[in-house]
Amino acid sequence: MSTEEPSPEVYESGRGMDAHNAAMREIRSRRDETYDPREPTRVWLDEDNTPDGTRRSLTIILNTGGCRWARAGGCTMCGYVAESVEGGSVSHEDLMTQVEKCLDHEADDADDPAPLVKIYTSGSFLDEREVPAETRAAIGETFGDRERIVVESLPDFVDADKLADFTGQGLATDVAVGLETATDRVRHDCVNKYFDFADFEAACAEARAADAGVKAYLLMKPPFLSEPEAVADMKSSVRRCAAVEGCHTVSMNPCNVQRYTMVEDLFHDGGYRAPWLWSVADVLESTTDTDAIVVSDPVGHGSDRGAHNCGDCDDDVQTAIKDFDLRQDPSVFEQVSCDCELTWEAVMERETSYGMPLAR
Amino acid sequence: MTDHFEVHARDGAARIGEIRLDTPLRTPGLVGDRLHDAGSEWAAGRETPDGDPDALTLLPHRALPAGTPDSVRETFGGAGNAASADDAPAPDELDVASAVVVAPDTATDHGADAYVLSGGPALVGHAERFVDAVTTVRRAIPDDSALYLAGAATPANVAALVYAGVDLVDADRAHVRGTQGFYLTAEGEYFLEDLEELPCACPACRGGREAFDRRACAEHNVTALETALRTVRARIRDGRLRDYLEGQGRHESFPTSVLRRLDGEYAYVEERTPLFRRESLLAATEDTLRRPEIRRFADRVTSRYVPRFDDRPLLLVPCSATKPYSESQSHAQFHRAIDYRAHTVSMTSPIGVVPQELETTYPAQQYDSVVTGHWSETEYEFIAAVLARYLERADYPRVVSHLPADYRPIVDRALDRLDTVPPVEHTVVDHPTTEDSLASLAGALEGEDRFGKREREHHTVRALADYVFGAGAGDELFCDLRTGSRYPKLRALDAGIEPRPGDDTDDDGAVHLATMVPNYGTLSLTLAGARRWVESDVPTKRVEIDAFVPQGSVLAPGVIDADESIRVGDEVVVDGPEAFAVGRAQVHGRGMVDATRGIVVQVRHSVET
Repeated sequence: MSTEEPSPEVYESGRGMDAHNAAMREIRSRRDETYDPREPTRVWLDEDNTPDGTRRSLTIILNTGGCRWARAGGCTMCGYVAESVEGGSVSHEDLMTQVEKCLDHEADDADDPAPLVKIYTSGSFLDEREVPAETRAAIGETFGDRERIVVESLPDFVDADKLADFTGQGLATDVAVGLETATDRVRHDCVNKYFDFADFEAACAEARAADAGVKAYLLMKPPFLSEPEAVADMKSSVRRCAAVEGCHTVSMNPCNVQRYTMVEDLFHDGGYRAPWLWSVADVLESTTDTDAIVVSDPVGHGSDRGAHNCGDCDDDVQTAIKDFDLRQDPSVFEQVSCDCELTWEAVMERETSYGMPLAR
Repeated sequence: MTDHFEVHARDGAARIGEIRLDTPLRTPGLVGDRLHDAGSEWAAGRETPDGDPDALTLLPHRALPAGTPDSVRETFGGAGNAASADDAPAPDELDVASAVVVAPDTATDHGADAYVLSGGPALVGHAERFVDAVTTVRRAIPDDSALYLAGAATPANVAALVYAGVDLVDADRAHVRGTQGFYLTAEGEYFLEDLEELPCACPACRGGREAFDRRACAEHNVTALETALRTVRARIRDGRLRDYLEGQGRHESFPTSVLRRLDGEYAYVEERTPLFRRESLLAATEDTLRRPEIRRFADRVTSRYVPRFDDRPLLLVPCSATKPYSESQSHAQFHRAIDYRAHTVSMTSPIGVVPQELETTYPAQQYDSVVTGHWSETEYEFIAAVLARYLERADYPRVVSHLPADYRPIVDRALDRLDTVPPVEHTVVDHPTTEDSLASLAGALEGEDRFGKREREHHTVRALADYVFGAGAGDELFCDLRTGSRYPKLRALDAGIEPRPGDDTDDDGAVHLATMVPNYGTLSLTLAGARRWVESDVPTKRVEIDAFVPQGSVLAPGVIDADESIRVGDEVVVDGPEAFAVGRAQVHGRGMVDATRGIVVQVRHSVET
């Protein structure tokens, strides 16, 4: 962990970063939408697998002005920066208005409050320049009657004092860290995210010291990797994360093609294909022996921009994955099969980064 | 510097060659399991491998997929192992065959034997980008290095890939398409499920339709690709890959898009196109009109060639199927009526106009067309444009048009473009060879002077010199021209220069400079002719060699420099500290300089200096 003040500037090293940032700034500049700071980016109700079992969940994506790293350029696959307000920060009052709207949504659509609350910001909830300490404490209080809370953050900002706003309420607390991959080289050069696996390990230790846990978010198939390289990267990453004390859950998610991203540029010119759902199933199936909950939530499955197979079997495989998320039982994948497995096997055997994609 | 790749034969930008491994890998061909990939540095740090003497070693790489932003290309876009530790060996320091991954804008001479152009699958979906990428990379890497396009080849597109300059492909795309239920052939693809009968007799297809599943389909596709590559290699050896590609264009759009775009890259294809071929050139599509050979002929006839007979009537006649024209029945009949009283120029699609002196040149003597009497608008326009350009540079007192009615619009359109039009007379009554027409032709030339054999022969030698060596050569190379022997094997001698010891002279002491080669319509020079060329103001196509005396041939390692204007088949002067020689180029000039193996000049005469 860096001893310097956490800021995007601490990442200002590495030969690829300037190039990636320059490209991403140009790509993002094509976008001209703005967003209302009093509206959350998104909110929905779902079910999640937690260390204490399956729980109903309220997921909130707060609009906090977005990721400061993304303003410098940011991650090659991330389009969420665009879901930000113009000009930067969102005030405490506006953030609390967003939370109120999320509670209204929950009250409208659910009989009871969800035991699990997950708060994402497309940045770092624990970064006080995104979410002021005052707001963090108020949100801790707001959800103090729930069972568990998950907040998203870069590892730099994980700090026992900040987490006390939640643990002090008696909440089981997890930090969701967008690690993307355990392979530093892939995280730096393909994702353009500038922290190291060692920083993740340090964040896990810090969380543990605060009696909190960590949920690692992994990204399957960032740009520049072939399908077999991407699968190998995920298999090793899941194992490395699960081996870190304090990291009790790994959410391994296939990259999807978001608007105004470098991935979209590659996709548009025929240089990127979102991963196969068979690849997701393969990673989940082969890592069931690890000491962590491993889940995946493919976004936009079955579409060209999301993880997909041939079009015939996408829904079935997606259903199996969601089923696996809740039960962690690899036999769910024995229930699905399709002719396109033969194609996926050929791609896994033959695809190279200099001759991809071999199949759409 | 490529120690492990050698080009054996060329047909335009396409080549037959071999990667020199313990068991040679033939190109164009499938790289198969002969590629040892050190791996992508996007995924992990890689070591430069020791290398297998029986495999092409692909050095650690960072491939740039289609759509990679410029700043990222520039930063990560060096050759494969540029991203490795600074002490990683350069490709040419390895003693095994090596390959590096490049993108068009990052390709340069890395000293490798082969170059892998990244992004193949996207390129073969987009002919414009494909042609841009291949021509850019080909210009940036040495001529005698192999170019590998991965994940791209199918039986239907591989001829186009090779035609553009790709040497190596793989069967990955063909195999994967099979697993997706696409049955591939050289004419395109079928949905397997729509096929009642398998249109192939390869081992995978012989088991019958019922047993034929997607695995079998993948196997068939790979065999079909191998078959297509054999066809391509046979076509390159025959110098007829272009005709094959034009034929494939009747089924698939990609081959046509590629050849049309390449025709637009005239400098790239012209540099690689031979001066002549033994084989015939079939003009069966309109795309033939844009072949580099055709355009080069038209360019030379309307820029280098001097119409020395333009003090005579210009006689326009139709072409004949027999080549050269003078050996055809129809032209023999015209000839009797003309009796050397006019300058005969044949009108033809796809060549344009062929003055009688150039009837043996390529492709005037080698083309064959599909004659129906119906002309397309493109043909009319092309030939009219060439005729107009031809006439602008000439000063004929009158034009006699002995052409059938279907040729008339060409003459009319050409004359419309001219500022000053000589008087034109049409002499064909119904058909050019009827008695009436021939009598009308003879009548039109009544009273014109006959020109002699000497004038005819001199003009032919000078016209060929213009055509082969460049503008002005016909006048510059010969001071006091004498001709000997019989047409079409004319000998050109010069009575105006001093013979040197060893020079061949005639009884009058005139020095033998050149001999007409009737098969290809060129002039082959003697040593005296080569010296004359060097001394003249005509730019010499020169190959500079090391200190040795070439016997029979010049091999690539002996070449120090070569003129960039040299084309395959060109006469070249070979010059070095110990020898002076003349011969015929087997490789274009830049290719000679780049090459490290193989014959680059067939030497006809050499002398120690």
